[in-house]
Amino acid sequence: MVVFLNNEPDRIVEAFVGEYASGKSEIAINRALELKDQGRKVTLVDLDTVEPFYTLRPIKKALEEEGLNIIAFSRSDSFGLGETGAMLNPRARWALLNEGDIILDIGYGVFGAQMLNLVEGANESTDLQIIAVVNYSRPMTGTRQRIKEYVEKLGRVDAIVANTHLGNETTWSVIKEGNDEICRVAREMKIPVAYMTVDEQFRDREEMDLDMPIKYLKRYMPSAIW
Amino acid sequence: MARIMEETRKAFITGNEAVTWGALAAGAEIMFGYPITPQNEVMHYWTRLAPQYGKGFLQTEDELSAGFTVCGSVQSGKKAFTATAGPGNVLMQEPFGMAEAMRLPLFAVIQQRGGPSSGTVVYSQQEVTLTTFGGNGEGHRIVYSTASHQEIYDYTIKGFNTAWKYRFPTFLLGDGYQAKMREPLEMYNPEDRGIEMIDTYPLIGLPGHIGENREPQHLCNIYSLEEELYEVVMRVSAEYEAISPELVEYEEKECEDADIIVLSHGVVSRAADDAVKELRAQGIKAGYFRPITLRPYPQKQLREAIAKSGAKKLLIAESAYGQLDRLTKQEIYGETIKIENLFMPGVGIIDYDIISKVKSSL
Repeated sequence: MVVFLNNEPDRIVEAFVGEYASGKSEIAINRALELKDQGRKVTLVDLDTVEPFYTLRPIKKALEEEGLNIIAFSRSDSFGLGETGAMLNPRARWALLNEGDIILDIGYGVFGAQMLNLVEGANESTDLQIIAVVNYSRPMTGTRQRIKEYVEKLGRVDAIVANTHLGNETTWSVIKEGNDEICRVAREMKIPVAYMTVDEQFRDREEMDLDMPIKYLKRYMPSAIW
Repeated sequence: MARIMEETRKAFITGNEAVTWGALAAGAEIMFGYPITPQNEVMHYWTRLAPQYGKGFLQTEDELSAGFTVCGSVQSGKKAFTATAGPGNVLMQEPFGMAEAMRLPLFAVIQQRGGPSSGTVVYSQQEVTLTTFGGNGEGHRIVYSTASHQEIYDYTIKGFNTAWKYRFPTFLLGDGYQAKMREPLEMYNPEDRGIEMIDTYPLIGLPGHIGENREPQHLCNIYSLEEELYEVVMRVSAEYEAISPELVEYEEKECEDADIIVLSHGVVSRAADDAVKELRAQGIKAGYFRPITLRPYPQKQLREAIAKSGAKKLLIAESAYGQLDRLTKQEIYGETIKIENLFMPGVGIIDYDIISKVKSSL
């Protein structure tokens, strides 16, 4: 067996998992750019095998121009393939061999989370952090009980990102109420909440009295198909 | 009926999920389906929720069977539905025709994808002709074309009631963009909005004896004699035309003094709405007309909008090569307004496309 673990010191490897449409792609893109802005070398991997041509494809080029290494199908890769069903990009399978930080955007809910098993070295990696993204406004994670059941189904989860929002109708009370509930469940489950994510339009507008770090999100996904 | 929503609450969901929650709130009992993009998450979410609410689901061997099992299920009095797209919609035309013939309260959600054939899995508005007039019949069906997640939720609830009240197959016509995109909406129990859900009832296996104490049901989709069929089709046509005025729905804005009316349906009407606002801001007298029901078509209301505005042009914008255009022309036959087109089959239309077209048309 070939052993190819790439355990550089201080390397960041994060996989974002969670309910369909919970915000994984948006948060993964923002996280990758945040690390890149710190002068780090970053690879962002689209690991949606159910809808492999849609998530990052429309904005791939723009993100590459921002200085990220993107592993995702491009328009020319997907032209002519049609509805091929589940498909694993070979570059995604071997993504952990890339130098520098790796951010994995794992699409499509619980079944998506199982796809992490297809990434070579993921289970052996000592750097890997599996982070569940939760939006309390998503009905399937819209009560404490549902969040708990959902996160349990995901398998290993090292941290949670609280991402409660209502798209263009987001208010502070929506964010606060939802993220409070997420924190409560996280405490019960003994999973740390790494931070909460809030649309950058809320930056400096009001004080949040949550005992939690905030990361502001620039929205890229409205330019993607879905 | 058990309350589905503990409280009326805003949620952030995809259009396919809006179908599922709407169906649950409407009291749907069972879904029959076969996977096809872009409607898959209707099935995925239904199968996740069904066990929690004691609902049924059957994945059939293909779309023909999915359509026919809905036809069978509603005859037993079950509130049943299906969802499909593209080639699946083609296959389902036979069962949809059976529902027309037998006057079955079938409800189906169509999330249009690109065509012809398997086309693309993504988006288009190319199933207008198929959904309104598909099958070997006269288009005796009711088709709601939605433009937002709130409407998907609202018209899913309404669609079941329309089907059971009028006994014509009823469709919610969405598309891949509406299916997959995410936006907030308010989810509610129909009873909290004063919406009374029509009780379903079995069409077969009724008590009593035919000829003794009850009449036969005559759920029939085949006739031996031409004259028999003639009588039935003429009778059903008359019934359909009689109920059409109370079924038509439309949206009209800024048509009173419009020089040009932009006509669109479904998700494209969102771009048309933005375009008309922007054109008005620039001093261009544009109006907006959107049929919500494509069958029956609000032809009387469109004719009135044309007449009162005195508009010289009608711009028909659609993500298809003339399906809404043909439907509209046959419905407003005799109008002399000049018709312009913006046909973009299989791709999205944004406000800029419409604004440019309007400016070059005037």
